[in-house]
Amino acid sequence: MLAASTTTLPLFLALSACAGPDPLAGPPPLSADVRTLLRAVTAEQNLISLYKRTMAAYSALAPTLAPLLAEHQAHLQQLRARIIEPPGKTVPAKVTSRPAIPGTSSAALAQLRTAEQDASTAQLRRLAGAAPSLAQLYASIAASEATHVTVLDGRGAR
Amino acid sequence: MPAAEIQALQAALAAEHAAVYGYGVAGAMLSGTGQAAALADWKAHQEARDTLQAMIVKMGATPVAASTAYELPFAVQGARTARLLAAALEDGVTQAYLGLVAVTNQTLRTFGALAMLPPANRAAAWRGSTVAFPGMPAGHGRTG
Repeated sequence: MLAASTTTLPLFLALSACAGPDPLAGPPPLSADVRTLLRAVTAEQNLISLYKRTMAAYSALAPTLAPLLAEHQAHLQQLRARIIEPPGKTVPAKVTSRPAIPGTSSAALAQLRTAEQDASTAQLRRLAGAAPSLAQLYASIAASEATHVTVLDGRGAR
Repeated sequence: MPAAEIQALQAALAAEHAAVYGYGVAGAMLSGTGQAAALADWKAHQEARDTLQAMIVKMGATPVAASTAYELPFAVQGARTARLLAAALEDGVTQAYLGLVAVTNQTLRTFGALAMLPPANRAAAWRGSTVAFPGMPAGHGRTG
């Protein structure tokens, strides 16, 4: 509750003198932070779709790809948890990119590798201006995707 | 430079000191390609340590020194536990660099995020499996 102290009252009056939100103007525009977060959600959804379609085409790759897919699903869950959804509405599960699955399993792996590398680089571009905990989430996902690149390259073992 | 940023750099340096020490222990228990990998990783941590020390000096602070001895998280008695130690050391370094990502200075934030990538990869290689959230506390993001 706003207490009408000598310091807050003038501020309150000054604010109430401004034009209030227009109830007919529709929802307010999304902040830059939320737009960035929604792009990160979409990027994860695209990767998950690519993994699922690659695994459907090449079942022999499933042992390698399933753990990586599970990690992307965990990324998506954490990113979505940062979005405050209005009551009764949910963030749409929208896939915006559906590249064709290549005709050989090695080419399909190479496509996933490129997608992971691009996703990791994109996460790093989201750091600027993000709230600290969100920046850490982007950085951690970027590192996870970098480890996926290594696995897909077949360089994962010591 | 704000104190929080120097503190985060010092934490990363302390983790690198611990890794340099720990790889000496792990490497002694490994042989062949495992030992070669441990040697390469030991050198990588020495280089990262030197980089952090130079950054801290440039900011006008005194870099934290290495301890004379470190308590290992568990007894290292053979190749299997040596690999687990290497993974644990890399986890510690990754976590420390993730701390840098929380600072407001954008250059340091990006430095921290990029510096996480090699230790996250090395941790996965030593462990033989990846994790969903490198650098985050164990159990982060798990629902079960």
